[in-house]
Amino acid sequence: MSLNRRTLLTGALSAAAAGSLAGCGGKDLDDLLAQAATVPRRPARLTWWVSEIPSRRGAVVADLIIRAFERRHPRIRVSKINALSTSDGNRSAIATQLAGGSPQPDVYLGDTTWPAQFGHSALALPVEKLLPSGFWDAYPAALRTGSTYRGRTYAVPFFTDSTYLFYRKDLLAKHGLRVPRSWEELLHTSRTVQRAGDVEAGFLWQAAVTESLTANVTEFLADAGAAVLDGRGRAALGGAEAERAFSLMAEFTARGVTPRTVATYEESDSQDAFVNGRGLFLRNWSYAWVNASTPQVSRVAGKIGAALRPGFEGTGRSGVSCAGGWSNFVNPSSQELGAAMEFARFCAGDEVQRLLAREAGVIPAMTSVLDGPEARAAGDPTVLRAADLRLVARPVQTPYYPQVSKALYTPANAVVRGSLSPAAGVRAAREGLRTALEGKAL
Amino acid sequence: MRSVLHTKTAQTPSRGEGGGVRTGAPRKSPSAPPGSTARRRARTGWLFASPALLVIAAVTVFPVVFSLVLSFCEVRLEYGGLRFGSPTLAHYEALLTHPEWYRALAFTLGFTIVSVSVELVLGTLTALVLERLGAARGWILALLLLPWALINVIAAQLWSYLFNGTYGAVSWMCEQLFGTQPDILGQPVPAMAAMVAVDVWKTTPFVAIVVLAGLMLIPGDVYEAAEIDGASAWTTFWKVTLPQLRPIIAIAVLFRILQAFGIFDLPFVLTQGGPGTATQSVAILGYRILFQNLDFAGGAAVAVTTAVIVLGCCLLFLRVFRAQVDEGGRA
Repeated sequence: MSLNRRTLLTGALSAAAAGSLAGCGGKDLDDLLAQAATVPRRPARLTWWVSEIPSRRGAVVADLIIRAFERRHPRIRVSKINALSTSDGNRSAIATQLAGGSPQPDVYLGDTTWPAQFGHSALALPVEKLLPSGFWDAYPAALRTGSTYRGRTYAVPFFTDSTYLFYRKDLLAKHGLRVPRSWEELLHTSRTVQRAGDVEAGFLWQAAVTESLTANVTEFLADAGAAVLDGRGRAALGGAEAERAFSLMAEFTARGVTPRTVATYEESDSQDAFVNGRGLFLRNWSYAWVNASTPQVSRVAGKIGAALRPGFEGTGRSGVSCAGGWSNFVNPSSQELGAAMEFARFCAGDEVQRLLAREAGVIPAMTSVLDGPEARAAGDPTVLRAADLRLVARPVQTPYYPQVSKALYTPANAVVRGSLSPAAGVRAAREGLRTALEGKAL
Repeated sequence: MRSVLHTKTAQTPSRGEGGGVRTGAPRKSPSAPPGSTARRRARTGWLFASPALLVIAAVTVFPVVFSLVLSFCEVRLEYGGLRFGSPTLAHYEALLTHPEWYRALAFTLGFTIVSVSVELVLGTLTALVLERLGAARGWILALLLLPWALINVIAAQLWSYLFNGTYGAVSWMCEQLFGTQPDILGQPVPAMAAMVAVDVWKTTPFVAIVVLAGLMLIPGDVYEAAEIDGASAWTTFWKVTLPQLRPIIAIAVLFRILQAFGIFDLPFVLTQGGPGTATQSVAILGYRILFQNLDFAGGAAVAVTTAVIVLGCCLLFLRVFRAQVDEGGRA
């Protein structure tokens, strides 16, 4: 028996090829959908990939939901897998697992920016045929649009996230100032309070090179009336409106209203600064209200308010918020597709949505719950004012969304740092968008 | 001095000069078994070795070959697994024609050269001091090893707190000293410098330990000979210590190049490759392509090109370094 290096190499190549082919055993989608259409009557076990859901009263919200589901379906047991809270880190972890064909988790909570990419890559089961007719009437239209890619729906609604302007009502009252209605007024108010030495930073937001900045850029562009894509999904960024949005981002840092370190801020960094009393205004997602109002973790608890984001003077537009949130996706490799789909539907249903309004520091996806008794009892302004928001979607309906997002946040970060002019930033973003949408960006 | 170096040369013949170092094919001994017995023994040998070979194939050879196959194929995720299409060079073409890859490569090369150089100098100096220490050496060694023992991600997170522009200790100290709070991780040059500083803090102890081991292997008589020849401390270091340390330094540098070129944890935690793409290493770029863009073939192409570059650098380094050692031996 003569085993030499050539033989070993040939063997390794064959093994690799065999392994590659082994991964090619495609599944018939109709079979998967047929399995998902039936809720099993035999005992079943499910795993749910879920990041921490902000809690209003200290309870673990995911556990409450699981217990409620198990009460309704005594034969199905659900265990949770704790996932990361950041969208990018979470996506990397779950995508690795799903791409390897793992049957677990059966259901996973994912960002509302994922459906197109995950649908395109067959990492999520299309669920439109598994939802009852009229299902989407109960949810915001923007959520349905964002969950759909090429006519197929890949996500089942769970909760939405919207952005607000949080402010220090004690400091505004001290200086006799009102909550700003425009960005220009916010700049002036911030400088007034900063000059008095009452606060270090005027406006805290997020400009790190992550998805956080893309959400901010989307909002500022919408404030100014600039479009990111045209009706045919091509890059349309440009013009005076876009430059106005980019100029504002640069002005915050240039005038000292925002600390220069905002270029490294994600949501948690800006929230930390705000709850430690270092900022007058904070732009953040709705969950920040619960955190900033909790005395154990916030020095400004009881001194804050929440308002809709302002707009630019003369545009008549304000209250813009990026449409965010988290939905449930079904793993197509799950061994319990029927039970998994039932769990996803249950999370979108009335019982869980009311539970979210009562216990969680998030905005339930079901619109009827927003003015229900649970929401009114909680008294959370981010829930009660959700219906007043002007939701704008990020350009998520492309499988190349991560590249699209990068095309926006990279030049925007340079503009905030002052190393790129607003006009050059807009040009760079437009060029990057075009390359990304063609699938040629890294 | 010459006498010292001749002594060393006589002790360690260079590779390829003498038959004692290089061994040819094993000769048959007069009592060698006949052919069939030898084949049977070989089969038995392979049989016993096969479990280990299978494990090596599974954890080392298979992933490498699989990455290669991925990078040269059209790959698509479908229900049930990966679908391999026709062979293509498109992923390499896309990579090698994209400026972002060159920027990532430039950062990675720059980071590797600067951090390894600084670590080498500081590590050698530290080792020289440690060698002269008496009873306290053990304690100081243990303290020095603390940063090296820390898990990379934890060390990076620790430094991200220190560099934080809002509440970081480093930022606060700079404010106290210079009256202004620096934006350390928000500007390209300070962010790169911070990353090198953290790497130097973490990895210099490793270089120091390796060099210290080399120092302790140098026989005392060569120093005595140098002293008899009237060499100063400075001359002794350059003409005696350093030449004798070259092989061990080569190993330390080789390890460091391999580690530094694959830098991922520091930029991932400290800057996420930013500001802009200023601190985006090739590993971060590969991660983004593979795990965020879900482009498996593109990510594999980054992995393969990086591996080829690192291998080339290491081979080049070894060749250059070996030549220097030989020169030292001939001097």
